[in-house]
Amino acid sequence: MVESIVETTGTSVFVRPLILLALVAGSVSAQTLPRTADGRPDLQGIWRAANRASYDLEGHVARYDMPAGHSVVDGGSIPYQPWAAERKHANFVSRATADPFASCYLPGVPRVMSLEFPFQIFQTDEHIAITFEWQQTYRLIYTNGEPAMYAGIESWMGNSRGRWEDDVLVVEVTDQNDRTWLDAAGNFHSNAMRVTERYRLRDANTIDYEATIEDPDVFTRPWTMRLVFTRQTHLDRLLEYQCQAVKEEASGAFERDERTWYPAPIPVENEPFDFEAGADVPLPETPSDILRLADGTPDISGFFMADAGGANYGLEPRERQPLLPASRGQIIDPADGVLPYQDWARAERIDREMPYRGYDDPTAHCFVGGVPRSHYVPAPFFILQPPGYVVVLHERMSWRQIALDGRDHLPDHMRLWQGSSVGRWEGDSLIVESRNFNGKSWLNEVGDVVSHMQTVVESFTPVSPTQIIYRATMTDPIPYTRPWTMEMPFNRDNQELLEVACLEDNNDLQHLKDVRDEHRAMQN
Amino acid sequence: MIRSLKTGFTIAGLATSFYVAATASAHHAFAAEFDRDSPVQLTGTVTEMRWANPHAWIYIDVEGEDGSLVNWALETRAANNLIRLGWRPADVPVGAVLVIEGFRARNGSPTASIATVTFEDGRKLFAGPPDGPSQQ
Repeated sequence: MVESIVETTGTSVFVRPLILLALVAGSVSAQTLPRTADGRPDLQGIWRAANRASYDLEGHVARYDMPAGHSVVDGGSIPYQPWAAERKHANFVSRATADPFASCYLPGVPRVMSLEFPFQIFQTDEHIAITFEWQQTYRLIYTNGEPAMYAGIESWMGNSRGRWEDDVLVVEVTDQNDRTWLDAAGNFHSNAMRVTERYRLRDANTIDYEATIEDPDVFTRPWTMRLVFTRQTHLDRLLEYQCQAVKEEASGAFERDERTWYPAPIPVENEPFDFEAGADVPLPETPSDILRLADGTPDISGFFMADAGGANYGLEPRERQPLLPASRGQIIDPADGVLPYQDWARAERIDREMPYRGYDDPTAHCFVGGVPRSHYVPAPFFILQPPGYVVVLHERMSWRQIALDGRDHLPDHMRLWQGSSVGRWEGDSLIVESRNFNGKSWLNEVGDVVSHMQTVVESFTPVSPTQIIYRATMTDPIPYTRPWTMEMPFNRDNQELLEVACLEDNNDLQHLKDVRDEHRAMQN
Repeated sequence: MIRSLKTGFTIAGLATSFYVAATASAHHAFAAEFDRDSPVQLTGTVTEMRWANPHAWIYIDVEGEDGSLVNWALETRAANNLIRLGWRPADVPVGAVLVIEGFRARNGSPTASIATVTFEDGRKLFAGPPDGPSQQ
């Protein structure tokens, strides 16, 4: 009997039930994939590439500076044109200094996906955002079918347009410059490269990722690499890796400020801080015509630019001078518009405006702006409202992710440039409380002072279909005598983000260092 | 030619025209790097337009009084700012002759921050509205 079945079907009775089981399991798994409200596979969460591809996409044994790894390239090796194979070898030999990562440059796609640093995916109806721990870069993938607003403008991370093909997210990446590498082993491409990515959710905790590389200037044919992303179930948030800041602090190029950096104490000569001072300014009223999401929450998503009125050049009112724009003043409390400085901090603020202090502004080094400066640095930003979060992508290459789930802040000793932010809706205002700052930021170019003890309570209140009133109340007992509040409108516009790859050509820093060094030499 | 503007121009006059360009200083204190007491006017030939962030740079060869050429680095707005104003890299071709007003770097190198750029035909670069999203 058994023999006849085997003869007629060619399949053992012992194997058949297994196949059947596998088929059932497969269909069950497809049905139970996590899905978003609109039925797409839900890719949201924190992920990490589970391989050694960031060192070398091709199979390699261990080297002094990289662990061994199997090839992630279909067919094993990358099909270079002969000249390009020579160039790749030269890159490999000089990789310790020639790798763009040695200069903390943005990684490009697909390299950014292969890094050992975690990343987080957010989904809305029209966009997918990927935020990366590495250098706090991000990708904003437009899945709204709109043509690219700035097609042809090259950048490090390129232009990503996505679409769903059944349950697979397909992303076309174009307009990348020719300065990024594909890995740490010197694999490279030209600015003609076109990358087609496919993200396929295998199960709740696994994404199968593939990237097909087309670059007729460098390769003999298109080729494909495959990665597996594993959900980081033990993580509830990304941290920061500010590559350039870490590097400059280690080398001494960016110097510690003992008065503001964590864990500076409150100066003994300080006036006592009056935590109770400050007007209880009511939040702006929201009219009935503001935009709302399907669940009724105010819709504050999209491209915004702060009408900052020169906040980056001073938070108190000041006249325009050559080389320094005016500020209309943004302080609404105290009512006189004057920052309630401790005496030493006022003196420090004035000193920071001297030419020899220009080097000390972290943004001159291309470090992130901190909170609230990232909003008015000035560069536009894009707000997304995926489930459970408000995510802000700053054109000047950083992000904030504001969790709305009432979570705790980070442990006190974990100090970040952008801090730890927790948000909630109060009526139609988004209220965000942030702490755990590192105290390294300046509030603007003239050096308004902030320390690691700052806590910031921000409100984002929509007052029309195109405008948010933004406020930030700062409580910082090191440089100030009482809390104070700033205000500015954010205006929505129908634009797309560009990229500010600040480190790519920062000639200014050496000039600023020259001015500082000359001053120091004269002091000695 | 290089001409010191200490006598030829009033600072106040330059300050007005400079406002549009200076609002581009998203990245660092221009007044720290450049000297508001050292305005310059330069006429020269474009050797390179570097379309970069945090600021784009125009390089021009300027003939000195002894006839030798000096390559000046001239700092503009952020590239993104220029893009949103509608400018594209091809708008400043190599070989174009420009008249530039600006402020010289404090470190004495042939570097300046641009206040105005004028082409031979009188067109002005970076002429944008003084406020709005394009003003970084």
